[in-house]
Amino acid sequence: MLPLSIKDDEYKPAKFNLLFKLSGWFRSILADKTSRNLFFFLCLNLSFAFVELLYGIWSNSLGLISDSFHMFFDCTALLAGLAASVISRWRSNDSFSYGYVRAEVLAGFVNGLFLIFTAFFIFSEGVERALEPPDVHHERLLPVSIAGLLVNLVGIFVFQHGGHGHSHGGEGHGHSHSLFNGSIGHDHGHGGHGHSHAAKHGHGHGHDHGHGHGHGHDHGHGHGGHGHSHGEPDCHDDFSHTPGKGSSKQILQGVFLHIVADTLGSIGVIISAFLMQKYDLMIADPICSMLIALLIGVSVVPLLRESIGILMQRTPPSLDHALPDCYQRVQQLQGVYNLQEPHFWTLCTDVYIGTLKLLVAPDADSRWILSQTHNIFTQVGVRQLYVQIDVAAM
Amino acid sequence: MDDKYSSNVISGGKLGRVEVPNARLTRYIVLLLLTKMLKALGIFESYDLLKVVHIVQFVFILKLGCAMILLFFQKPFSSGKMVAKRQWIKIFKHAVISSIISLLGFFGLTLCGPLRTLLLFEHSDVVVISLLSVLFTSSGGGPSKTRGAAFFIIAVICLLLFDNDDLMAKMAEHPEGHHDSALTHALYTGIAFLGVADHKGGVVLLVLALCLKVAFNTHSRKLSVEIGGAKRLYALSNLVSAVVLLPWVIVLSATTESKVESWSGLIMPFAMIVFSVMILDFYVESICTAKLEAPCSARYGSIFLFLSGLLLANFWTHPLTDQLRAMSKPGQQASTEHVLSGGVLVSACFFILSDSILSSPSKKGQKGTLVGYSPEGIPLYNLMGDALQHSSQSLPRFIKDSLKQILEEYDSRQIFYFLCLNLAFTFVELFYGVWTNSLGLISDGFHMLFDCSALVLGLFAALMTRWKATRIYSYGYGRVEILSGFINGLFLMVIAFFVFVESISRLIDPPNINTVMLAPVSVGGLIVNLVGICAFSHAHSHGASKGSCSGHEHGHSHHGHGHGEHGHSHGGHGHSHGHGHSHSPGGRGMNANMRGVFLHVLADTLGSVGVIISTVLISQFGWLIADPICSLFIATLIFLSVIPLLKDACEVLLLRIPPEHEKDLNFALEKIQKIEGILSYRDPHFWRHSANVVAGTIHLQIMSDVVEQRVIQQVTAVLKDAGVNNLTVQVEKEAYFQHMSGLSTGFHEVLAMTQQMESMKYYKDGTCIM
Repeated sequence: MLPLSIKDDEYKPAKFNLLFKLSGWFRSILADKTSRNLFFFLCLNLSFAFVELLYGIWSNSLGLISDSFHMFFDCTALLAGLAASVISRWRSNDSFSYGYVRAEVLAGFVNGLFLIFTAFFIFSEGVERALEPPDVHHERLLPVSIAGLLVNLVGIFVFQHGGHGHSHGGEGHGHSHSLFNGSIGHDHGHGGHGHSHAAKHGHGHGHDHGHGHGHGHDHGHGHGGHGHSHGEPDCHDDFSHTPGKGSSKQILQGVFLHIVADTLGSIGVIISAFLMQKYDLMIADPICSMLIALLIGVSVVPLLRESIGILMQRTPPSLDHALPDCYQRVQQLQGVYNLQEPHFWTLCTDVYIGTLKLLVAPDADSRWILSQTHNIFTQVGVRQLYVQIDVAAM
Repeated sequence: MDDKYSSNVISGGKLGRVEVPNARLTRYIVLLLLTKMLKALGIFESYDLLKVVHIVQFVFILKLGCAMILLFFQKPFSSGKMVAKRQWIKIFKHAVISSIISLLGFFGLTLCGPLRTLLLFEHSDVVVISLLSVLFTSSGGGPSKTRGAAFFIIAVICLLLFDNDDLMAKMAEHPEGHHDSALTHALYTGIAFLGVADHKGGVVLLVLALCLKVAFNTHSRKLSVEIGGAKRLYALSNLVSAVVLLPWVIVLSATTESKVESWSGLIMPFAMIVFSVMILDFYVESICTAKLEAPCSARYGSIFLFLSGLLLANFWTHPLTDQLRAMSKPGQQASTEHVLSGGVLVSACFFILSDSILSSPSKKGQKGTLVGYSPEGIPLYNLMGDALQHSSQSLPRFIKDSLKQILEEYDSRQIFYFLCLNLAFTFVELFYGVWTNSLGLISDGFHMLFDCSALVLGLFAALMTRWKATRIYSYGYGRVEILSGFINGLFLMVIAFFVFVESISRLIDPPNINTVMLAPVSVGGLIVNLVGICAFSHAHSHGASKGSCSGHEHGHSHHGHGHGEHGHSHGGHGHSHGHGHSHSPGGRGMNANMRGVFLHVLADTLGSVGVIISTVLISQFGWLIADPICSLFIATLIFLSVIPLLKDACEVLLLRIPPEHEKDLNFALEKIQKIEGILSYRDPHFWRHSANVVAGTIHLQIMSDVVEQRVIQQVTAVLKDAGVNNLTVQVEKEAYFQHMSGLSTGFHEVLAMTQQMESMKYYKDGTCIM
């Protein structure tokens, strides 16, 4: 009997047909504002690319076709972002015990890498062209690039607006958190229950909710976070221009950078086309593209550095200064001899995980030490902490 | 310029030398600067003059003028003791050699142009002597001197190889135009015989002349003491060499007709050159050497000289400088100016660096700097500079160390050798391309260079993996190799995508490819890449057995499997067999980094094979369509082969439970549940950090009357058997939840915990009842 039922459970997913799955994906895409925005923009981009491709094939212009393929390539960035934002909401299972939250970091990283590649290619092309400027046909160039610019401007607008809307939402944000690590998400959904630790919550959330709470609906627990987030303005200024400060900061940052890069590219093409038409400055094109490539490269570096840090299990930079203090406090607890192998790392944006081992005296109250240690580290924002207490041999 | 030297002085002071730059020293430095600028100007001037005046005449006039002025100032005959006959012979020898050296120098000037002459010829003796001592003696004087010597050699090589001077090509077309005498003709034919361009011959000539000059200067020091002062010797020697050159000049002017229209117009420039190059420089140099230290003056002198030379070379042809020129020329030779190329700029930078390094006083002589005297009158020294010297790592040692590190491990050694091979091939291709001026080869070379970046990345990752864990990266840098594999994979994907797009556009509109140069290059590339594949696939099997040593069960079984040893873990054996088959050929055995590199090499190989096939098809059957189809095929292949790598890397980066440990871990968890005293476990997280670190965390709920340490040890042992080697176990008893809820750490967390506890309790009760 029992095996049968288990088998039944196992076979259930296989029965799902593709359509059902697709509609499920679709629904989950539309459920969240971030992924919805991404999806719509992807559609816009894809349709533009298809129109370009069809027109190119119809008018038999190779330039248009190749440009449309470039557009498709650009779409992969959006696609990666979209996929990541869907994947990161998958529940954790036996194999992926932390869930798929890291997908967002990975997506940001991949986007950043793609941008670097693109910048590199553009740069080398620019150098090549600077050495021997080719004849550019600028009759067809201008309309295409202007259309591309329009599309990208829409993208920038959407993502900035989307970012705001997202943080207005507040609620949805919390839910997305709650999906991947249940206890934590709820924790901050209802955190207002305990008054004594408003500061703690503020610390944990001030960072990702900054704007949301500023205008948010739920003032209830928001005030702790509000006050605190204002207390750390430097954290915010770093990202004040990135659209969303939500769970998917990395994705949005990557996508946003990509769109900005595209926009810059179109602007560069327009300017150089204009210069070439008016003044016959053939050198304008390579110089423009080189400048743009440099700009892209420079703007991507912070994103890359951050995501590499996260992927390499770096100690979170925001905890860098707080941690030694915490270690000291833990070591001052009664009965604690030593603190060993402290590992702290970032799971995804603003979810920090730590493990450490404490060497305690044989007669120490290990439960008290455990809860105190948890308390100390929760105050600096470590969400999940694993403390192994080893009793020192006498 | 003022700012420049003052900052130089300050940085010089920082190096730990005693002398503080005061106003007196600055005065001399300014004097030196002015002199050197004038000298540079004079040399540029003399280059212009040498176009019209024959070299021997030129040197004669210089020597004569110099001797006249020096006779007037120095009065070598009336002052000092009489010069004996034996000494006269020595002076005569001295004069002959000095005139030969100046002939060589000025001949080099005509060949190379003024700037290159300045860079090559005008090094002070201190620099050259320390250079030679580094090169030819074992005790060179530390790593910094070696570095300086290396810079010097690089600079010379830069001048030799990377300095494309258009003028030289022009002159090479009609070298006969300048041959005025037997001497120049002999030199020309000698240089032409060696098969190098004139200007390169000039560089060699100048370097030789420089060495000769230094040797001559050191030898003449003894003579100058005998004669009674360097200045007196200089005056006498100039006079004698003028006398020596006189017959030659007479013969020359009798046999050849002069190109000079009016000698009177040349008086001013000659006077200027004599003053700036011969006299002022000599006097100021001697003063500065006396007042400043010799190395110091040498350093500033050469730096100023080079800088002003660069400036002048930049502006010499500029119309503004026409006023500066004492000799106004009709613009007939405007086209034959030596250009300021990139190679010259680079080599000038290197010369300046090497001069400042080589002329810095060697630390051997002065162990420390005198800081004062102790009360007993014993001098006290400060060994600060020496200590700094020790702590600063020298470049060669750094290279040696990192090379040693690279060669230590199999992976990085393999990558390194292959990288060297690849680079060598690339450079051969580039050089050949530059030589034959084929754009296709050059661009292909650059593509190869770009491909090498993947190898460099892999090498770097393989090195970085071995770094120790720091406070910030508390798990160590092992993840770098996974990241690098991931990046390499992505990179390949991008390349495959572009190849795909390109081939589609070519499919629509097949271009005409000239297949002449293609085949040999791609065959060469194929061979190189085949070597790489052999090396790396060997590395693969080796790597498998290597990874085994670190990873417990899995690895040992591999070991037994691979080398036919009698495995001590038979269960593991069977297990690994299952794994070996379940994984893709590039399998788990090799780490992600090596897989990335391997795939890259594989992709390159496929590319060359495709090119060869399509070349054959095109040249044999004229199927132009073969090329895009081949590339389509290859792009798809690359794409498919990269996917497993990317998938694995993604899984690791997403903190998946390591697939090869999954079964073991499940067993282990079941086992843990059965350990006495454990109620349940919560939040088991296991993930692979790097090739040989699997980290894990787990929460355990235990009964309140169980000894925690024993439980921890048991659990750790069980999980260690399952392959987790970085484990943290948090043991929770019931009282913990009360503490936590008292501190109210997260309402829901506590709720979940208490619920779990309660259910456990019921369960326990049930079991108790049963």
